This record gives sequence, structure tokens and C-alpha cells, in this order.
Amino acid sequence: MLKVEILSVTYSGDGQETHAVSEVSFILEQGQSMGIIGESGSGKTTLGLAIMGILRPTAKITGTIEYNKINLRELSQRQLDMYRWKHIAMVFQNGLDILNPLMTVNEQIKECIIRHTKIKSHDADSRVKELLGQVGLGTSVADSLPHQLSGGMRQKVLIAMALACDPKVLIVDEPTSSLDAVSKEEIIELLAYLQHQKRFVMIVISHDFSVITRLTDKMCVMYRGHILEEGLTRDILENPLHPYTRGLINSSPSLNPYQDLWGIPRASEAATEEGCSFYPRCNQKEDICKSQKPKLKYASLERKVACNQGGIITLLKARGINKTYSFKGNKICACKDCHMSIRAGEIIALIGQSGSGKTTLASILSGYLEPESGNIEFLGQTIKQHEFTSQLRGIQMVFQDPFSSINEQFTVLQAVKEPLDILKLYNTDERTAMVKQALADVELACDNTFLNRRCFTLSGGQRQRVAIARSLVLKPRLLIADEISSMLDPSTQANILRLLKGLQNALGFAMIYITHDLDIARKIADKLYIMHKGEIVETGPARKVFDNPKSEYARKLISKNS
Amino acid sequence: MVIKMPKIVKQFSIAGKFSLVFIVLVCFIAIFAPMLTKYPWNQPTGASLEPPGKAHILGTDDLGIDLWAQICHGARNSIVVGIGTAVIACFLGTLLGVVSGYYQGVADLVITALIDILTSIPSLPIMVVTGAFFGPSIKNIILILSILSWAVPARIIRSKIISAKQETYIKVAEGYGAGFFYITYRHFLPQIFPISLISFIKLISRAIVSEASLSFLGLGDPTSKSWGLILNYALNFPGIYFTDYWKWWIIYPLLCIILLVLATATVGREFEKILDAKID
Repeated sequence: MLKVEILSVTYSGDGQETHAVSEVSFILEQGQSMGIIGESGSGKTTLGLAIMGILRPTAKITGTIEYNKINLRELSQRQLDMYRWKHIAMVFQNGLDILNPLMTVNEQIKECIIRHTKIKSHDADSRVKELLGQVGLGTSVADSLPHQLSGGMRQKVLIAMALACDPKVLIVDEPTSSLDAVSKEEIIELLAYLQHQKRFVMIVISHDFSVITRLTDKMCVMYRGHILEEGLTRDILENPLHPYTRGLINSSPSLNPYQDLWGIPRASEAATEEGCSFYPRCNQKEDICKSQKPKLKYASLERKVACNQGGIITLLKARGINKTYSFKGNKICACKDCHMSIRAGEIIALIGQSGSGKTTLASILSGYLEPESGNIEFLGQTIKQHEFTSQLRGIQMVFQDPFSSINEQFTVLQAVKEPLDILKLYNTDERTAMVKQALADVELACDNTFLNRRCFTLSGGQRQRVAIARSLVLKPRLLIADEISSMLDPSTQANILRLLKGLQNALGFAMIYITHDLDIARKIADKLYIMHKGEIVETGPARKVFDNPKSEYARKLISKNS
Repeated sequence: MVIKMPKIVKQFSIAGKFSLVFIVLVCFIAIFAPMLTKYPWNQPTGASLEPPGKAHILGTDDLGIDLWAQICHGARNSIVVGIGTAVIACFLGTLLGVVSGYYQGVADLVITALIDILTSIPSLPIMVVTGAFFGPSIKNIILILSILSWAVPARIIRSKIISAKQETYIKVAEGYGAGFFYITYRHFLPQIFPISLISFIKLISRAIVSEASLSFLGLGDPTSKSWGLILNYALNFPGIYFTDYWKWWIIYPLLCIILLVLATATVGREFEKILDAKID
């Protein structure tokens, strides 16, 4: 019914051109509802206004907007007026100035009806009352002025105004942005009811996930005018394929009740015209992303992603890992047929009690230990011993005991610089600069006095930070933290955990966090792996596993904890 | 570690400080021997068996050669053999100890077997036999003494390396691609430096005694003078104890040997006492 093809809107002002919408295409049939989510400035409202045809004349529009096979862009203003409001209506963003403050509600709604339909003035009054009843407002509202109404009531008036001519397409722009929880709930229910009853096409523009979840079947994610991901709402929320979508979902407190709020880091550089618009804030960016604009392509059935690398990439894939220790004739099976896969930017918590094989599995995944059988691939290449711990942008591991993982006779500078020294990377000054940067990242002093301190003068927490700084110096894509805070007191533990999560957010690496503490896992993990006696007994998205554990061991573990 | 030496020396006891001064004195005498002696050490310059007097400070031996000159030149021998052996044996011992401790496996088995053999052989008889076999010369003496002495430091260093290798930071360094040389230079050497130093000093005193013994038994280099050789000639003189000549001919070389060995042993013990606190 509504088909938008390669729609682009450009505003020009002050000699600069802003591409508000870039090549957006979608198709909607009768009764379907689609959500558009994105941050401010992503072009959502512009898109809605473009479909309505009420953009400023200075805006340049290219592309087609087809309604029932008629290209709306080819119509003149007078012809367009026939479609506007009667067929395609918009619920504008709520504000004190969206309604004329000098006209009563009745007069304003009547204006729409008289303008776009053939109903006469006195008939229009009864129609207004009917509409107000439909949106759940009393008839007394009709004679009120806008400033006499509450925010929720004003929103309902706007909805009533949009429904005045029984449109077939309803565009709703931020229906609940300034409302309290009760009003929000009322509006969402109202819209859901109306859409269900009247079967119009509904486009919901919002930055709030709860609204989109309740009101839409399909959804698309917009960023700076581009659609980055498109698909079924439920699928996208459970399994986002674009880093931006994942970042948005992780920032939403309603979807992540236990975890701390972490937004997507702000851009450190400007995006280029030719490259991906999300390049500056992406945590898996490659050089190609700077020069090639990704096209929205099918990633699976009913899902499209616009990413040069096809969405969030899989960093590590391990299949069939087996490792047995023989000791004086006794065989201890540390890992039994373990599978694991980690995507870029993901945080995985590997949970298990002592002796369940977590450290063995971690050592095998990073390459420190050879498995007896099994296949591990990092970015598509098989891991052979120390291949990926000895290069930039590879895998790094932080060990449990900070007293043993750093040579305490070394100075702080020597300890953090060690990987660069061994690999002979950069020159001396650059190495010192990188060390200072890493120490600043882990919130330690970076003046020369501290750099020349011997490590045996540092406390356990400080040494652990130095160990983390050392692993950061090689800019890893995957960081494995093996119970790094189990030897520290709770306060230091909390600080180190927060530090690690902050670094993960800012630098974008994936992390395997090994712990036996379920509460901490709940706090930071996207995905969970539970190990018991060498086997991985359960795995899945963190929320799912905590709410509904399937295996017996997991159930015992989680119930004992709560 | 090396920069800390002066600080460590300040912590010596009185005996230690005296011993250090004595060793330095002997080295000084050995280096500047020609300037300290009026008379040559290999030509008769006076009557034979003259007692200590104004002309010849320590007297002369049976050929009339000045004893003081002989002792001064003999000091060279002792120092060269002592330090030479210690350097070679210490280097060999450290190297083989680190290699066998780090690589373990076959290399470890071979080197440990060698260490066991060398420590169970009685050293003096072997030295005598090999000395007699290969002929007397300073080079041979140094070689033989080194081969027989590297085993003791090697064993100590090997066990220290095996325990140091268990530390996680070695695993981490290997993970970054560090090889044997980097790990030995950066991580192991600072830790075994105290042990090596003490072994070095102990080897010096052992080498001096061994050299003196060999020369005394007649297996030393007869063309150069060493303190043991002086004693050899003295004791071979018929009726040495029935005359007064032993009062200078035997006493002075003997005293020199004893004092030097005592001095090095004392210095070694002082280092051990102080550095032991640092070797945890």
C-alpha cells in the first residue's frame, strides 16, 4: 500500500548541505505497523514529514513515495492536498506549541474535517465529539484551550485530529516522549487498540524501545539518515545484527534491568562522505569501512543489515575442545567437547565452580595450552600456540594472581612495555607514550615517578591494573579475564570491574569474563556459558538463562543464588 | 644489581672489609710487580739462602733468587688462575644451569647426568692425573679446573630456574613470543645474579688452592713462578727443617697462600650473608 523507494532528503542552509535522509526504502501493506528507532538527528521526523509532503520548499527530495501505486512526489500541491489527512495523516510530536493556543480543541479539529472532507460545519461538531470519545476524552474537552489540558490529553487530541478523516496510513511521531508512565501506558494501549480495530498502516517513530515493542511488528533502525538494520521487531531485540542496534539495546534500562547503563561512546572523529556513517563510533571498524558505504542487504530471512562486514562479526569459534590431564595414572577430564563462539564487542561470562575447567578452557582459547582435539578459529584463522597473543589486535589474557603474573623486580614502565619490547614494535618514545596512555586508561598515575616504581611496592589491586594495562597495550580484540578480582577485596573488585566494563565500552573489545560469582555475571554479561565438570551445560543470552535455566545444574546454581 | 655493589660492601663486617682490602692489595702487587721489586724473579741476585735483610726483604732461595720478587710474580699466577677459572666455570655453570632448567627434557637429562658425574668424582686425583697427562701449563690448569668446577653452580642455578619458570609472568612473556634469550636476560639473570656472584667468589678461592696444590705436587708450570712452586722447591730441599731456611723460604709463600684463600673465602661469606636476604 505504501512504498517508499530510495528516498533522500537534503537540507541546504548556510552553504552547507545536510543529508537528513539517505536512500531509505521500505514497503508496507495494509494492517502492518513499522517502527523507526534512532537517536535525535537521525532523520526519523524528516522521513515522516517527507511522506506527508510538508517539508520546507528548500528541502531537496529525490526518490519516490508510492501510495496505492500513485507516486505522491509527482503530484502538485493541490492534488497532494487530497491525499493529505484523508489518506495519510500524522500525529505530530507533542509540544505546547503544536496546537494553536488561541483556538479551542473543537475549532482545531473541525478545521481539519472541514478542510479535507465534505462534512458541513454543524455536522462536524458531532464528528468531533465522536472522535474525542474514541480517544477516551470527555466531550467537555472540546471547549478547552490547549493550555488548559495536560500533556496526555493534548497527545490524545493530536491523535483525534489525525484520525479525523479516517486515514489509511497513520504516522505517529514520538507519541510518548514527554509523558509520565500512566499516560504513556494509556497512549500505547489506545494506539494499539485503534490500529487493531481500524487496520490502518502505522509508522511509529520513537527512540523508546518499549513503545516500539508494543506497537510494531517490523522495525528499522536509523542513524544519520541511513537505515542500518531492518527486520521483525522481536527478532531484532533478541538478536541484533548491527553494532549500533546492539548499542541501543544495551543502553535501554527497560531491556537491561540488572546491568549498569552504558551508552555508545561518542564519535572521536568525523565520518567521511564515502564511508559508513557509523564508522567513528563502531567498535569493529576496518579500513574498508572508511571508504565504502555499506548497502542494506539481506543477512537472513526477513532481516536486512547495512554493514561492510555483514553485521557483528564472529571473532572466535571453538568446536569440540577436549583436554585431559593424566596424573599418576588418574585421568582428569578438564574439557569435554566444549563449543564456544564469541562475537565482536560481546561480553561472555563463563561460570563454573573451582575445578570445572574454566581456566583450562580459557588457556586453550587464547593459545597458551594445546588441546588434545578440537578446532579453534580466530577471525577465520586457526589458532596455533602463541600466534594471536603475540600480535596487535589479537587475543590477550589477564590472569588470576597479580603477584605472579608480573615480575615484581620490574618497574611499572618495564612491565607494561614488555609486549612492545618483545615484539620490537615502535620506537622508544612511542612505546613510553603508549604505556602512559594505557596507564591512564586503567586510572593509574602516569608521571615518571610512578613509571619508575618497582612492582613489588604496589598493592594487589594496583598490580592487577598494571596487568590489564599491559594487555591493553597490544590493542586486543578479545580480552580474557580469568577470575581477575577473586583475590581482591570487594571494593577493589567493584572498581576493577567498573574499569573493565568502561574500557570495553570505550575501546570496543570482546571479553570473556571467567567467574564463579553469579551476581557479577548478571551485572555485566550479554551471554552466559555455564560449565560443570568440564562440560558446558548451558549457554544463551544472559537474561534468558537467568530467567529460565534449562539444565539441572544451572537451575540449582541460579536458585541457590536467588 | 651491579650498581648496588658499593652499598653492599658498606655492610661488610670488619673482617670482611680487611679481606677485601687484602685482595685488592694482592691484585695491585700482581699488576705492578716489576715496579715493586728491585731484583728480577728468575735470576740469582744474591747469595743463596740469605735470611731476610736490608738488601733482600724476604731473603733468597737456594739459587739466590730474591724471594720477594718471586712472591710478587707468583701473585700474578694465582690471580690469573683464580679469576680465569672462576670466570670460565661460572659462565659455563650459569649457561648450562639455565639451559637445563629452562628447556628441561633431553637437555636437562644430559646436563644433570654430567653434573652428577662431576660432583661424585674426587677432584684432586683427577686433576693430578689429567695434569700429568696433558702436561703442565697455565692454560691447561685453568681448563682442567674449570671443567671440574662448573658443576656445583650449575646445579644450584638449575633448581632456581626450574622454580622461577613456574611463575605466570614467564608464561605471559612466552605468549608474547619471547624466546630463550629474552627471558634469560630480562627475567632470570637478575634473580640468579646473587647466586652466580657467590659461586664466582667461592670458585676463586677453590681455584687458588687447587693451583697451589698442583704446583706443590710438581705439576705446575715450571717456567713461571707460583707460590705453590716455591713451596715445592722449598720442601724438596734436603734437610729443610733442620736448618733455619724454612723460616723465610716456606713461611712467606705459605702465609701468602693462606691469607689470600682466607680473604676470598671471607668475602664470599660476607656476600652470602647479605645477599641471602634478597634471595628469597
